[in-house]
Amino acid sequence: MAERGVGRRSEHLSAVPDPQAPVDVGELLRVVARGDERAFGQLYDIVSPRVYGLIRRVVRDPAQAEEVAQEVLVEVWRTAARFDAGRGSATSWIFTIAHRRAVDRVRSEQAATERNARIGAASVDTPYDVVADEVSGRLERQQVRRCLEGLTTLQRQAVTLAYYQGHSYPQVAELLDAPLPTIKTRMRDGLIRLRDCIATGATA
Amino acid sequence: MTTEIHTLLGPYVLDAVDDLERAAFDRHLRECAECRAEVDELREATARLGGATWSVPPPRLRENVLAEIGRTRQLPPVAEKPPTAFRWRRLTAAAAVVVAVAGAGAVAYEVQDQRVRTERATAEAARAGEARVRAILTAPDLTVREEALTTGGRLTVASSGMYGAGVVMLAADGSAPDGKVYQLWTLRPNTAPASAGVLEPGQAATVQLVEGLAGVTGVAVTVEPPKGSTAPTTTPIGDVTL
Repeated sequence: MAERGVGRRSEHLSAVPDPQAPVDVGELLRVVARGDERAFGQLYDIVSPRVYGLIRRVVRDPAQAEEVAQEVLVEVWRTAARFDAGRGSATSWIFTIAHRRAVDRVRSEQAATERNARIGAASVDTPYDVVADEVSGRLERQQVRRCLEGLTTLQRQAVTLAYYQGHSYPQVAELLDAPLPTIKTRMRDGLIRLRDCIATGATA
Repeated sequence: MTTEIHTLLGPYVLDAVDDLERAAFDRHLRECAECRAEVDELREATARLGGATWSVPPPRLRENVLAEIGRTRQLPPVAEKPPTAFRWRRLTAAAAVVVAVAGAGAVAYEVQDQRVRTERATAEAARAGEARVRAILTAPDLTVREEALTTGGRLTVASSGMYGAGVVMLAADGSAPDGKVYQLWTLRPNTAPASAGVLEPGQAATVQLVEGLAGVTGVAVTVEPPKGSTAPTTTPIGDVTL
């Protein structure tokens, strides 16, 4: 290992990722932080389908999703040196930026159109089903689905309405006809249970 | 409804809070290492939710992004943390402090949502207001109360008994009808309501810093003619009891 690594470090990092050996996004990000555009290209290839997928899920409109995705990915480049590995994974850091931007876009759209925040009760059931559809296939997605199924209905709805639909917690409370404190608690409980479930799956 | 800032942890991680709540919670996080650790952990869980949505972007996105990074300067690592300036910058990202509105014995700074992008900020008011907002939102006894507006939307009051001041946020679903405006009032027992700020026609959201909250038992919002009234002329569409 050590011998192979000598003098080959940068080459290794810019090599086409081997699907069998997952590339460490955090390591890539550290290289990107030094201004390596090739490493960024690699990072792009690894994370962009998930970044774009998440943004599209929240924003819905493909053209707008593309705009937001571009902002997010450029932001990742711009602020790569600010990533703090001590506070979590690189993937989590990137998704946090992506989700926040997507939600900001949804909110500013809502403000701009002064759209009535009331959404038909029917949409309450959709997110999970839509998620379930999209999560079929891949191992990771299966695991997420399994973990989502492990939540109580209210926890699952609270988490998915906020995360995938970009609703604020008062909007979620209204949609689910539940008191604000309950919704806040369910969001936190749900995330804790999700975290525990995912951690268990990772070691299995 | 009384809300401890800490209960916003779940909504915060899910980005289900508004700009004011986010700013307040960011402040809370700086003083609560335990909360920071929990936020970081739960973000790993949401990242997995994010990773579960997978959609191939159009090929031009790659070209556009790579072209743009070619002309985008990267930020240096965070070397120092200028405590106050940095914190405030995070808040101004959400809100810009504008015009000072003077009530009877009370001074209110109107803070407007960045998205409204009002340009009339004055440096003096901003300097005075920002330190104050910062202080209030970091107050250990910060309490957030919130009520729905009968016409849709929310009235939120984040107050600190320690500072005797509060930050009032109005987020109506739409602007007031027929060219009318929203006006905020502070309520005291056996006293006429005092104006705590008048919105512009067409304006549906505002954040105001209200001083002299001691003795105030409630905050209300009414629909008034442009420029506001000296006393409420309509039934409040929302009120928060303190």
